[in-house]
Amino acid sequence: MTAIHLTRVSPSTTIQDRGRPGALQYGISASGPMDRGAFERALARLGRPSGEAIEITRAGIAFEVEEGPAETAFEGGAFSLEVNGALHPWPALLRLGSGDKVAVTPGPHGNYGYVAFDGVIDVPRVLGSRATNLVAGIGRSVLQAGDRLSLRPVVSQAAPVDLPPPASGDGPIRFLWGLHADLFASEIRQAFVARHFVISTRLDRMGVRLGDPAGVFSVAPSLSLVSDAIVPGDVQILGDGTPIVLMRDHQPTGGYPRIATVISADLDRFAQLRPGTELAFAPVSLHNARQLYLSSRAR
Amino acid sequence: MAVGEQSGTALPLLLPLGDYGLLVRFGAVLSDAANRRTIAFSRRLRLAPPEGVTEIAPNLVSVLLKYDPVRIDFERLAGQVRLLLSDVDADADVDARLPRMQHQIAITFGGSAGPDLVTVAEALRLTPAAFIAAHNAAPLRVLATGFAPGFVYCGFHPEALRLPRRTSVRPPVAPGSVLFAAGQTAIASTAIPTGWHVIGRTEFRNFDASADPPTQLREGDTVIFTALPS
Repeated sequence: MTAIHLTRVSPSTTIQDRGRPGALQYGISASGPMDRGAFERALARLGRPSGEAIEITRAGIAFEVEEGPAETAFEGGAFSLEVNGALHPWPALLRLGSGDKVAVTPGPHGNYGYVAFDGVIDVPRVLGSRATNLVAGIGRSVLQAGDRLSLRPVVSQAAPVDLPPPASGDGPIRFLWGLHADLFASEIRQAFVARHFVISTRLDRMGVRLGDPAGVFSVAPSLSLVSDAIVPGDVQILGDGTPIVLMRDHQPTGGYPRIATVISADLDRFAQLRPGTELAFAPVSLHNARQLYLSSRAR
Repeated sequence: MAVGEQSGTALPLLLPLGDYGLLVRFGAVLSDAANRRTIAFSRRLRLAPPEGVTEIAPNLVSVLLKYDPVRIDFERLAGQVRLLLSDVDADADVDARLPRMQHQIAITFGGSAGPDLVTVAEALRLTPAAFIAAHNAAPLRVLATGFAPGFVYCGFHPEALRLPRRTSVRPPVAPGSVLFAAGQTAIASTAIPTGWHVIGRTEFRNFDASADPPTQLREGDTVIFTALPS
């Protein structure tokens, strides 16, 4: 059986597929890739209608193909890619053979990259998915150097498609007003749109904490709210005024006030913003968000 | 906040939650009426999910419907949901027809299993034994699953047993921890940090990732707590 041997693994590297939609009723968020578009492009390059990938973090990964061959797709962000010491462009689709040594190292931008194969990464499905959910402790634990992953032949395969890259853009992150927006004073809502925020160093699959240099939420009310449903992209304000954007491994429910929800079409781009990046938020209508959702799917 | 939303008797609010979620909220605060309506409506939705709905997740006082924006938009779905809500008798019909499971859960109270039992009893001006008796006196309803895998909120205790949460959050407590606050008893199925009072522990685990479904308790079920000799 085809297998790869991981020789260097960045922190919080996991296996992700489309996740566990439908599991909220059991107290489990859906998980899935932080950059869904990049993940889908990796599968499309391999002609896989569904599947899983290794989600790598900023420091990259190194592995050796123990038994090949393996068609391998690399997608997401911009990493540096070397095979047996020779530089390759990123993203890429490469046919790797036995003994090939792959090194993915940090590139100019992005937090998450995807490495997918023409074989199924042989880890058990839990509740219908191979995705690791770090907050719920479900699925394969975080990958470590020394791990060996076997690849099983895929059952169904289509013609590979080369999906166009995501619409680039460093414009504001677009959002819909959130579940508790009405509980924030109008000056705070205006400042949320007018001021800049900064991606902090505290980011993971559960959430991204933001720096708030203008102190928009320094006077935010401390509210006692009934615990309610969370969706990825919710912008929650903690008791000490820290804004946090909840991501794929979010808690299923929460009791902190949420001022906004980042729209689906911008959540991949947001997930790839590195610590220190300045960002602004811009409100859109629900109708506009749906149009953007539909066109991001159609791309 | 809409008039009546406090009591859970008003018309529920239909709110967008992101660009693929519709939240049907029966109250802005946790009340018995809002929770009962939440449970009844989610049971009815599960029997016949509206067109385009991909996930139904009941919470304490709201039901989240995730939908596929390719198949339906918020306004059309909200229209369908409003029609369903206008037929209030249908909720009661479905609720009466569907069985409610009853579960008996044995708890080891106090000691290392429940380090807050003594302080909780003292705060309520009861002896630990009297608190345990009062706690187990009446069956509780499973109000919702949420927060963590298999984590359930059960309620409501009478007013005399109402106590706020602790002022600080404890580092993760053991799976099976029985938690008490705000007129409710909650059961943790996984290790979680908590600001609730830890009054005991149970062998019962409401979460098994290898089972289908992975949880045994459902919102609306009845729970009867019993005390194991400590």
